[in-house]
Amino acid sequence: MSNTKIETKTAAQGENPGRRRRSNNFTKRDRAVIAGLVGGPTILHVVFVWLPAIATILLSFCQWDGIGGLSNIHWVGVKNYAQIFTLYSDFKIALRNNTLWLLWFGLIATPLGVVLAYFLDKNLKGTKFFQTAFYLPIVLSLAVTGIIWDYIFKVNGFLNIVLGYTNADTAPSWFGDPHKNIWVVLGIASWRHIGYMMLLYLAGMKSVDPSLREAAAIDGAGEWYTFRKVIFPSLRPVNIIVVVVTVIEALRAFDLVYIINRGKNGLQVLAVAVYENILGESQRIGWGAALATILFVLCLGPIMVYLYQNFKKVD
Amino acid sequence: MSEIFEDGISRRSVIKGSIAGAGALAVGGVVGGATEAEAATRAKTVSLGSNQSDPAAVKNDNAWLAAAKTAGFNIKLNRVDHNTFQNQINQYLQGTPDNVFNWFAGYRMQFFAAKGLVTSINDVWSKIGSQFTAGYKNASKGLDGKYYFVPTGWYPWAVLYRKSVFADAGVDASKIVTWADFIAACKVFQAKGLTPIAFGDKGGWEAMGTFDFINFRTNGFKFHMDLTAGRVKWTDPRVQKTFNNWKSIFPYQSKNALDMNWDDATALLINKKAAMQVMGAFAAGNFKDPADLADLALFPFPQIDPAYGREAVEAPIDGYLLSNSASKNASASKALAAFIGSTAYASAIAAVAPAALFANSNMPKPTNAFAKQQVELVQSCKYIAQFFDRDSRPDFASPIFANALQKFIAGGDSVAIAKDLQAQWDALPPA
Repeated sequence: MSNTKIETKTAAQGENPGRRRRSNNFTKRDRAVIAGLVGGPTILHVVFVWLPAIATILLSFCQWDGIGGLSNIHWVGVKNYAQIFTLYSDFKIALRNNTLWLLWFGLIATPLGVVLAYFLDKNLKGTKFFQTAFYLPIVLSLAVTGIIWDYIFKVNGFLNIVLGYTNADTAPSWFGDPHKNIWVVLGIASWRHIGYMMLLYLAGMKSVDPSLREAAAIDGAGEWYTFRKVIFPSLRPVNIIVVVVTVIEALRAFDLVYIINRGKNGLQVLAVAVYENILGESQRIGWGAALATILFVLCLGPIMVYLYQNFKKVD
Repeated sequence: MSEIFEDGISRRSVIKGSIAGAGALAVGGVVGGATEAEAATRAKTVSLGSNQSDPAAVKNDNAWLAAAKTAGFNIKLNRVDHNTFQNQINQYLQGTPDNVFNWFAGYRMQFFAAKGLVTSINDVWSKIGSQFTAGYKNASKGLDGKYYFVPTGWYPWAVLYRKSVFADAGVDASKIVTWADFIAACKVFQAKGLTPIAFGDKGGWEAMGTFDFINFRTNGFKFHMDLTAGRVKWTDPRVQKTFNNWKSIFPYQSKNALDMNWDDATALLINKKAAMQVMGAFAAGNFKDPADLADLALFPFPQIDPAYGREAVEAPIDGYLLSNSASKNASASKALAAFIGSTAYASAIAAVAPAALFANSNMPKPTNAFAKQQVELVQSCKYIAQFFDRDSRPDFASPIFANALQKFIAGGDSVAIAKDLQAQWDALPPA
């Protein structure tokens, strides 16, 4: 609704035959202010986002141990990429884990968040309490989340003690099995992600015009049908955010696994591989940069396609 | 004492120093090696990067820092979590490093020396050299033959056990010599419901100790050092012999190894839930109760191939290096390096850590039983290795080899793992 208001306002301004009809009618001072306001952030953005990003992409074609100046950087072409895809065994595990993460978030955690939002939107008894309870994990950083859950699930942690296991060697191991520990981690990650998704949808649902629901009800639409055909489509701006957030959260996963076991033994993820190669005791900057570039493309790809699709419809 | 300050110190400051030094001589009962301590008695400000973050290590660190303060040093301490310190060493050394910092002997030190990130200290060694044996002298040199490192302490790796647990089970540790003896003992403990070998490898590096031992017991010390340096290939069939020997003790190792750190495993030993642990003797620091500590003992890792007996041991040397920032504060930094090499440093730690062992040969022989065992163990060995991550390339040991060992422990195919290791070694940039 607010969109239409803005549109009418700008339209009214456009009709106004005032002194600002053409942009070159700006005074010098106006131009300086605009240049400052637009140029300042642009320069900061270019310097702190684009230049490092481009430098990373360039470095991904080089070999460098991070010691010494530019003369120690050697161009090696696509060798880093070739090696990463063919013989870096941890990369395959990391890629699998990030894919699992994305699928799990996309198919299970996010829909669960929508379901929670749907029920909490009905103003059931205790809604405020549940809203707060489900949202609480977001207040904690992922690192803190990791510390809490690590304390619960580690082999001599809270859960095993409650279950009565006092010998760390005979207790069930939640993080030790490289084929299963990723599922424990996904469960922990969902604890936080579901609340986040719930909040985004709840905010969206609250802003849905109640007359839409009334109209649907009058036309005889059932509750599920109304949600599917009326409410959900009207939440498109929220959906865009949710898809972008889900993709990014799944691909940048780092804190949780790093705190649990430094992203080893079945918990390899791309972000840890980037970190280990760029910031570890031994630096393979080129490799790390290539991994970062792969991660960047993976993030950017689906997001760009999705945004493009959506904004095309708007225009 | 002015010889320490070869780097253009004015005569007046040397005279000042000797006056202060004389003061120290008059005040304190001066222990051996006090020439270095007295040289340092001018109020000297040095920044120190410490990776001694474990509680036991902090205690030792604080003891010698107090001694250094008494000796006139004004030390600006920058203490960093142990693992974080190692992980960030590259950025640290290229950024604004502290003048003097904790590090390790071996290739892990020579690597940074070769990259020009640390300061050579031949002049310090001309003062302290007489207090160290040839082995330590060699371990303190870079690949260019110059001195870089001040060794302070060391610890061997061995099979740690509790005497009372062995006595209860009727196992005599001194009779465990061969691999068959070792496995027989494991079976006894297993029958008693204990974990025979406590083993944690959550961090990834812990298992390297066991690998190193089995490898040089199976294939000899030379093969092991060639393997760490990449002179023989991981696809060599002898590597499989090592892995297969290791597999023969898998049934006796902690089954939750990948979910336990070394200290979680040591806790099993302390709580008498496990019988043995292949670990560095530094684990003694976790035996808080003096009665528990008195119960702790070790025996050498058992022999596998009689041709190699028990001739080799892992005994990493810890110490200090001077970063490039030390060149701007050379006299104070080098004076601190000399102090660290002195018995004044070692005595301060010995006072709080009776089982600790020192590189300085002027230190009195340890009286603590566990410390004596460590000295005897190392003296009985012909070859000393540092540790896999100190003998091999840093870009191989931690990010590649540690992960491969975890895959092996999780039940991975050792042939595929060895093949993968060689492929990844080949992909490393030239060192």
